[in-house]
Amino acid sequence: MGVECRYEVAQAAYVKLALHALKHPTAAVNGLLVGRLLDSASPAVVSVVDAVPLSHQPHHLPLLPTLELALTLVEDHFAPQGFAVVGYYHANARRDDTDLPAVAKRVGDHIFRYFPRAAVLLLDNQKLEKVIKGDSRDPVVQLYSRDSSKSWRQAGSDGSSQLTLKEPSTNVVLADHVTTKKWQQIIDFDDHLDDISKDWLNPSLLG
Amino acid sequence: MDCQRVDVAKDCIGVLSKQFPGSTRVGRLEALLFEAKGDWAEAERAYALILENNPFDQIAHKRKIAIAKAQGDMSVAVDYLNKYLELFMADHDAWRELAEIYVSLQMYKQAAFCYEELILAQPTIPLYHLAYAEVLYTLGGLENLQTAKKYYASTIQLTGGKNTRALFGVCLCSAAISQLTKGRNKEEDSSELQSLAAEALLKDYKQRSPSKEALIAGMLKNMKLS
Repeated sequence: MGVECRYEVAQAAYVKLALHALKHPTAAVNGLLVGRLLDSASPAVVSVVDAVPLSHQPHHLPLLPTLELALTLVEDHFAPQGFAVVGYYHANARRDDTDLPAVAKRVGDHIFRYFPRAAVLLLDNQKLEKVIKGDSRDPVVQLYSRDSSKSWRQAGSDGSSQLTLKEPSTNVVLADHVTTKKWQQIIDFDDHLDDISKDWLNPSLLG
Repeated sequence: MDCQRVDVAKDCIGVLSKQFPGSTRVGRLEALLFEAKGDWAEAERAYALILENNPFDQIAHKRKIAIAKAQGDMSVAVDYLNKYLELFMADHDAWRELAEIYVSLQMYKQAAFCYEELILAQPTIPLYHLAYAEVLYTLGGLENLQTAKKYYASTIQLTGGKNTRALFGVCLCSAAISQLTKGRNKEEDSSELQSLAAEALLKDYKQRSPSKEALIAGMLKNMKLS
């Protein structure tokens, strides 16, 4: 039973996760997706409105403390606005690595317990390269959702889940930010914990 | 090579090898050039040759490990690293690298062992205490959490209370421990440690990140109650 569900990713979320990956090209990076279920829509639509970058350091990324801290703080911060943690994104360190790693599945499972339509987005490094060159309109992320056998399945393989970019010009905007080296400014939780004056909300990043 | 100017690198190596024929250092550079081009098989062959003549060439050993890692062959990388550490037990960077690879493979017990070696060798480096605590916390279970709390505490001591992760770590451990020991007779009251850590965090946030102070205060409050 693939619960039909669309995932609509807003520009802010998409650009942030891509910039996060670009800032740390030799490391794996991850982060949380924030949004809500649009109950008025049928079939269901999960609107991903923001992304909170978490880690890029290999001795913190797969471990629990940063993740647990972030989950609590992100939930607490966004709840008054009606948003919750609705998913997780991950980018592998190696360029040609397109496997969804165990840590992504574990975090996904954890988020799924609180939000049953949780999404896991895996960045496709090669697609990202194309978008930066201005060569592609495709999303640079691959959507995974949980199927009835509790495993994470790529969207599109059975047509039951779908990812759309909310704003059609998102890739163009991303390419633009790359040329202005915006990726240098993005802050993740690792950066924050190293220097708490740095804000993981990235409030003024995208203007 | 780091700038992807493989052509320039090739020319430089050519000049060097004419100047210093048979040099191991140049041999390593040649092998490195194969790596830069992604020619793994040739690189491995080159390093094997170097190691035949110099079986204790640390750099060649490490490059072999790097190649395995670059190809995503983590179990091979682990294997090579372990063999390397049998020869070069005092190479702290290698222990750290091994720990990180184990963590990425979710082999936390093995990662913990690496950090234990590092702490034994260099007990005053807070980074190792912190990393060890994080692995123990991830492993979970009452004993590991209690030990993790101790190592977060030692990190705090070694860093003069300035390490944010360690301060948070103490709070996280305390909350997790109290969850696990709910209803049981509490041991010696160590609540002073976590309230001091919480106080230090709030003070720091008030000063350096006031926009987040309320959020942190809320979270710490919930943790104390749980």
